[in-house]
Amino acid sequence: MAGSLDLPDLRTEYPPHAPGRVPAERTSLLGLLPGILLLAVVGYAGKFVEHFINTYGKAHHYVLPNIEYVLWAILFGILISNTVGLPRIFRSGVATYEFWLKAGIILLGARFILGDILKLGGISLALVFVAFAFSLTFMTWLGRTFKLGPQLTTLLAVGSSVCGVSAIIATQGAIDADEEDSSTAIAAILALGAISLFTFPLIGHALHMSDRAYGLWAGLAVDNTAEATAAGALYSDAAGKFAVLAKTCRNALIGFVVLAYAIQWARKGLASRAATAQLENKAAFLWKKFPKFVLGFLFISLLATLGSSTNPHIAALGFSKPQLTALGNLSRWAFLLTFAGVGLRTNLKDLFKQGARPFLVGAVGEVAIAAITLLLVLGANHFFHL
Amino acid sequence: MSIPRTPLSLSTDTWAIVLSLALALAVRAGLLKTVGW
Repeated sequence: MAGSLDLPDLRTEYPPHAPGRVPAERTSLLGLLPGILLLAVVGYAGKFVEHFINTYGKAHHYVLPNIEYVLWAILFGILISNTVGLPRIFRSGVATYEFWLKAGIILLGARFILGDILKLGGISLALVFVAFAFSLTFMTWLGRTFKLGPQLTTLLAVGSSVCGVSAIIATQGAIDADEEDSSTAIAAILALGAISLFTFPLIGHALHMSDRAYGLWAGLAVDNTAEATAAGALYSDAAGKFAVLAKTCRNALIGFVVLAYAIQWARKGLASRAATAQLENKAAFLWKKFPKFVLGFLFISLLATLGSSTNPHIAALGFSKPQLTALGNLSRWAFLLTFAGVGLRTNLKDLFKQGARPFLVGAVGEVAIAAITLLLVLGANHFFHL
Repeated sequence: MSIPRTPLSLSTDTWAIVLSLALALAVRAGLLKTVGW
């Protein structure tokens, strides 16, 4: 039957019982459509309200705050999912928001030339290593102080230092953590991500940060990729772009971190036989955990770089300026669906029912990580003029 | 009817790459015009 092909099986990426996540089911293309349409409607409603407020303010000579569509889309999503709830028919389509996030990031490659990626990516990676060493040490110490189990402490440390939910899910299998620990860690990371959406732009504006510096900070400090992208876009379009670049650098390290933990747990004899067996081929392990969409991002960026060459033969291989603009537009549309999805999958009740201690450990850790990365970015800005 | 274990059973990352490259090709071929903001 047409339209019933096997679509992305999101079940592995969306554990059915993880708090704050929309349970997804394998479904047909047709089954995804209602949810995707809802993402589009909620996202576009955000864009419409932003435009309406601006136009109204100008027409009536009012000075109204310019609230980005990103925030409206997220708020509308939160409002729907926490009042009327998300009817079953929309769930599988709404769960595709992470697919749109990845497509948006790949297409965003059109707005970077490789030189930019090397420079900012290099700075990001250097900062990631420092922030990473700090956050792992600090979160582990905090977890022990608050007497959390070693698995939950590890998941919180990985989630807050690498890349949020994906890192937690990737590490869960490697250290044999149970579903409850994983769900608690995911809930803590998502709750703190939701809070960062509202606090980061305010701090950035208060410190008069440049788009690059703020974007770098959001990409380094906000854990989940969707929230980091949104936190960047809430500041400005350019900041969103740099937040994605910094976050992508963090994401690329996920395999190494999970591998290091898996080796450590296996050495201590705490890992199961299945988890230990995975370590026999470390290259395969790293490749399995590597986020492949990063390769798509680099490929599109390579074509953008070729297109900007002064040699007409090389430039013909890449994208022209109007084509790059078109791809940048497509990236924004994909992110519009993502931001609506961030709101729609945020279940406030679930996020805050995971217990005070994991949330407190996560919150104290996140505040410290945000402060350290802010200092690092401000320092890098001073020396490298970001 | 679903078709398990076909080349269409791809991961989200692969699907995202496939869609993005298809869109990039369509833009390059002049088949797709976009609007932005």
